[in-house]
Amino acid sequence: MATYKPQFYPGKSKVAANRKKYMDPSYKLEKLRTVSDDDIVRLMGHRVPGEAYKSVHPPLEEMGEPACPIRELVEPTPGAKAGDRIRYIQMTDSVYFTPLTPYMRAWTGHTRYRGVDIGVLSGRVPLEARERDLEKVAKELVETEIFDPARCGIRGATVHGHSLRLDENGMMFDALRRFQFDKKTGEVVYVKDQIGVPLDKPISVGKPIKEDELRKRTSEYRVEDVAFRTDKEVVSFIERLHMLRTEAGFDPNRVKGI
Amino acid sequence: MQNPAIQKMVSYVKQCVSVNLEGVEKALATGAVGGKGCVINGRSLKVDLVKSAASIADEVKKNLQVSANDDTEVKVLKGGKHLLVKVPAKRLNAGVEYTTGATSTAAALCCAIVDQFKVNIWDADLVHASVWGRYPQTMEMLGGNVASLLSVPQQNEGMGYALRNVPCAHIALITKKNAMNAAALSSILEQAAMFEMGDAIGDFERLHLMGLAYQGLNVNNLVYDIVKENAKKGTLGDVVVSTVKRAIADGIIKPLAKAPSGYVNYTTDDLSKWNAYASAGLLAGTMVTCGAARSMQHTPSVFIYFNDLVERETSLPGVDFGRVEGTGVEMAFFSHSIYGGGNPAVFAGNHIVTRHSKGFTIPCVAAAVALDAGTTIYTPEKISGTTGEVLSEVPELREPLKYVNEAAVAIKGGV
Repeated sequence: MATYKPQFYPGKSKVAANRKKYMDPSYKLEKLRTVSDDDIVRLMGHRVPGEAYKSVHPPLEEMGEPACPIRELVEPTPGAKAGDRIRYIQMTDSVYFTPLTPYMRAWTGHTRYRGVDIGVLSGRVPLEARERDLEKVAKELVETEIFDPARCGIRGATVHGHSLRLDENGMMFDALRRFQFDKKTGEVVYVKDQIGVPLDKPISVGKPIKEDELRKRTSEYRVEDVAFRTDKEVVSFIERLHMLRTEAGFDPNRVKGI
Repeated sequence: MQNPAIQKMVSYVKQCVSVNLEGVEKALATGAVGGKGCVINGRSLKVDLVKSAASIADEVKKNLQVSANDDTEVKVLKGGKHLLVKVPAKRLNAGVEYTTGATSTAAALCCAIVDQFKVNIWDADLVHASVWGRYPQTMEMLGGNVASLLSVPQQNEGMGYALRNVPCAHIALITKKNAMNAAALSSILEQAAMFEMGDAIGDFERLHLMGLAYQGLNVNNLVYDIVKENAKKGTLGDVVVSTVKRAIADGIIKPLAKAPSGYVNYTTDDLSKWNAYASAGLLAGTMVTCGAARSMQHTPSVFIYFNDLVERETSLPGVDFGRVEGTGVEMAFFSHSIYGGGNPAVFAGNHIVTRHSKGFTIPCVAAAVALDAGTTIYTPEKISGTTGEVLSEVPELREPLKYVNEAAVAIKGGV
């Protein structure tokens, strides 16, 4: 018991180490760029910066809560306390050495953030939360090493592009052309919010991370670099789980000491 | 099988029926019978049912009783707007179908109205339609004003699914949105159904009994302790860590081998108990995540990622050996709008999307619905109508933890 330390993820490769690092909430994500609070709000497009938060129910204090030991114990988030709407940020991650793969977004999100609802689909990962809570999470998602301006897209709709080849500037395809590569500054700028509504002024999310740096930081297994099959420990972990699930479904009493 | 309180609760689910007298009165007055959009113009019957609730209740009781002083009960609620009817067990035992509760109540109510208000032969059909709804043109009492917790057998997904066909909205309202009791009631119904379905037999019986005890009935305060540990700042990941810590401390799991990276595979000699611990952790994770956001929509995400994370933490299978995780994937699709479906309050163990886990998901959904502060368009109150509210008058259903614990203590001869 005394020796138990959360282990997060098996594996001996650099990708496994990155996965472990990002999933471990005690590891502070490295901040690589600054995007102002207001710009984060603009990028998501749920409200105008400075506008009051709309609510879906009255503040908890005003409405009162039913007698329930769990409600008494569990502290609501600031957004829940205020009765905020539940809103989302949705990310599309390229298959070319993106920092976070879709599943990693869910695992990392659930180990780092409280009261979030994350779903993983084939080409997009929405994270939903009470609006003011979401804005804090979104800022970290965009400003730190788990985001690359060129290969991660903030896309509420028409998300396709994650599995397409990159363009001449190393940018992931976006049918709505929400982001552009500014050749003069070398930065990626958003000209539309995540839904595709044009922004009054472009928002820079900084320079794309260099290819070799991305390969160092990625949590994606990929044949050109760390192929999944080469991480024997992870492969055997997956095989073990598959075996145990199957054996347990046949007879849980026979699964002992394996 | 052994706990008299659980047997009583299962029996009450069959026996207890909710009557919306106000609804019957309105339907008779307007001719709006048989469900949404159906009005028979020119048909109307003005009867003061709500005002006459006491005498109607007496008459219904008389009609339902098998013998004097049996367990028949008819309670007038909300100034006569609703009745809570308990059909005598003898009446149910004399047949083979649980629908006796609803059918005999509906018929008894029709007879009472016809007798008390001297309804003539030409208006009796309107009384029938206002009570039974569109039945028998429909399978169920569509638009009727008599409701049981149980749906008609034709709406069950398969054999033994009856107790699983109770939407979480009802569960949350019956337990007055007390998350612990909501989870307990739901777990009792789900795991009792496992016996009827043929799941909790032989090699699998202990798996389900352990699940009921640890997830549904808070054995050793496991669920409560894990929630408490993570109540102020905990994430779902923290709940996973608390669950694993507790399982190691209690000797349920132990290290098996160390991999080259230092990663430790864990093993167990009692997989059913590990599953019980993991399912308690899953409920605690739901309570922390949905509790922090005071929102029910997070449940499928918790189902998938609690299990993903607990599997990666231990290398042991997650709750129900992968079935909860799979259920979460489907439920996420059908509860997040683009594919239709509905919010978690409409889900039940009988639902096409959530039936796959054998009793371990729905208790968490019920708890999450109880913790929601009002984030959904279709609220539990709207979905449940008067049924949940009326059945919350049955103490054993409203506070299952108390009654099941007391009965267990009595069996054991004291704690």
